[in-house]
Amino acid sequence: MSTIIKAKGLSKSYGSFDALKGVDFSIERGRIVGLVGPNGAGKTTVLKAILGLTSFDGELEVLGLNPSRQRHQLMQKVCFIADVALLPKWLKVKEAVEFVTEVHPHFNLERAKHFLGKTKINWNSKVKELSKGMVTQLHLALVMSIEAELLVLDEPTLGLDILYRKEFYNQLLAEFFDEGRSILVTTHQIEEVENLLTDLIFIKDGEIVLDSSMDEVADKYFEVMVSRDDAEKAKSLNPLIERDVFGRKVFLFEGVDRSQLEELGEIHSPSVADLFVAKMKEGK
Amino acid sequence: MRTFKALLKREFWEHKGGIFYTPAIMAAVFATMMIVFGFSGDHFVLNGEHKIDFSQKLPTVVETFEATPDEERSKGVQIGLHGTGLVFSLVSLVICLFYALGSLYDERKDRSILFWKSLPVSDTVTVLSKFVSITLLVPVSYFIVITIFQVFFLLYFTVFSWFGGSSGITLWASSNLFGVMFNNLLHLVLASLWLAPLWAWLMLASAWAKKVAFLWGGLPILMIIIAEGWIFQTSRFAEMFAERIGKSVMIQNSPINNLLGGDMFDGITYTAGEVLGGAPFWVGLGVAAIFLAGAIYTRRYRDEA
Repeated sequence: MSTIIKAKGLSKSYGSFDALKGVDFSIERGRIVGLVGPNGAGKTTVLKAILGLTSFDGELEVLGLNPSRQRHQLMQKVCFIADVALLPKWLKVKEAVEFVTEVHPHFNLERAKHFLGKTKINWNSKVKELSKGMVTQLHLALVMSIEAELLVLDEPTLGLDILYRKEFYNQLLAEFFDEGRSILVTTHQIEEVENLLTDLIFIKDGEIVLDSSMDEVADKYFEVMVSRDDAEKAKSLNPLIERDVFGRKVFLFEGVDRSQLEELGEIHSPSVADLFVAKMKEGK
Repeated sequence: MRTFKALLKREFWEHKGGIFYTPAIMAAVFATMMIVFGFSGDHFVLNGEHKIDFSQKLPTVVETFEATPDEERSKGVQIGLHGTGLVFSLVSLVICLFYALGSLYDERKDRSILFWKSLPVSDTVTVLSKFVSITLLVPVSYFIVITIFQVFFLLYFTVFSWFGGSSGITLWASSNLFGVMFNNLLHLVLASLWLAPLWAWLMLASAWAKKVAFLWGGLPILMIIIAEGWIFQTSRFAEMFAERIGKSVMIQNSPINNLLGGDMFDGITYTAGEVLGGAPFWVGLGVAAIFLAGAIYTRRYRDEA
């Protein structure tokens, strides 16, 4: 497995505000990494640094290139969808396809036709005539037809209704993703992506608070449903967080031996959303 | 090269309203007006008493036209042809003004810049494509429409010649159409390049502005003029600026002016040779290059929120 993104001491400040406080992380080829954090935590700054859209301090290497100096070369290997509906309104579908065909050396026109053929998008429509979901379909069709090594998605399904959201990720998995490629995705809808992620990075106040594979997460974090009588016992094991469910208590543990927890009650793997909440509240 | 061609096409798609439809519609309206007049304007009543019947006058008009010495007649036809381009040329300048102001601002306003930036196209090539579009694509497109209109103009008067009893060949022979076309194209492009520093400045303002690009484009110019007047009690910058704009119109209409022996602009001529041979043109391009570099830098390194 090769590393495609390597960040060391990556920092960024806007005036006196430190958006990123010297973070280290790496992303391997063939992984789908979820970058999760509350608003203002620094997610978008990380993405922008990776895409060469912002200046930064520290070391950052993407596919062996420096994003701020070799942006042009980088964009031949990386593609991104930064937000929904950012295709210009005046652009026609056929013009968008024609333009990308002509400027992108790794664009596969046949694939684009294939993807668009499966949608209801009219070749002659302007972007402004398409629904929000269709614009995303168009953008996704363009992006998936680029033989890129890294795909970066920043809130790709924002504002889409649930049918399109499901479809979006299904298609991404089925038609784009393979072991030669990596996907880095940020989203608020963690539930949507949790089943497709292979790796998880939590970011909070410009710092990384969790960086591990989903397998590691499953080995390290447990949720135990405990009756009220055993609550004190569970608390003595230092849970990350507790919550009440139907008169019972659910505790989330980090790095506690499984056998110890089995005595307390039923063990589950926590959902990414619950883990996220626990991690964000940690230390407060 | 393929990328640059695609970028120019992109510019045309985005701006086809200003680049093509505006002059095309103008031409269609003018042509329709001429045709309607041709059908209905036969009887003209002036002040309720001087009734003019064009169809009766036509043979005399055509006869006079044919009897005019070749050189003078050709001059007249060429002036007429160039005259048809006058309004178009002025409109093209206004279009370019808005084009330049929006060139690097609109894409940030609708956030489509993130789409353009997701493609392997450098900021340098992108900005240059917009500049080339303003200085070359717009004038060439206006030239094409003007030429079509000029051909219509000749056809229109050919029909008049027929009613006046002539074949109309004299008209076409006098038109020097290819010469007119060449002069027209040359001066449209020259006038646009002459204004290169203005376009490049507006593009820089367009790349820089967070809001209301035209304020960023206009206010600094105004402020320099006011500051100069206040500090030095002079108005060199204002004069220079006014001269730039004024001369661009002169350059556009230089073919007519030359045919008229300079009568159009108080005896001053400003020919293509004089433009290209003079320092101001080249200094202007140099200044434009600096502003463009600024625009490229701004587009490249500005943080897209």
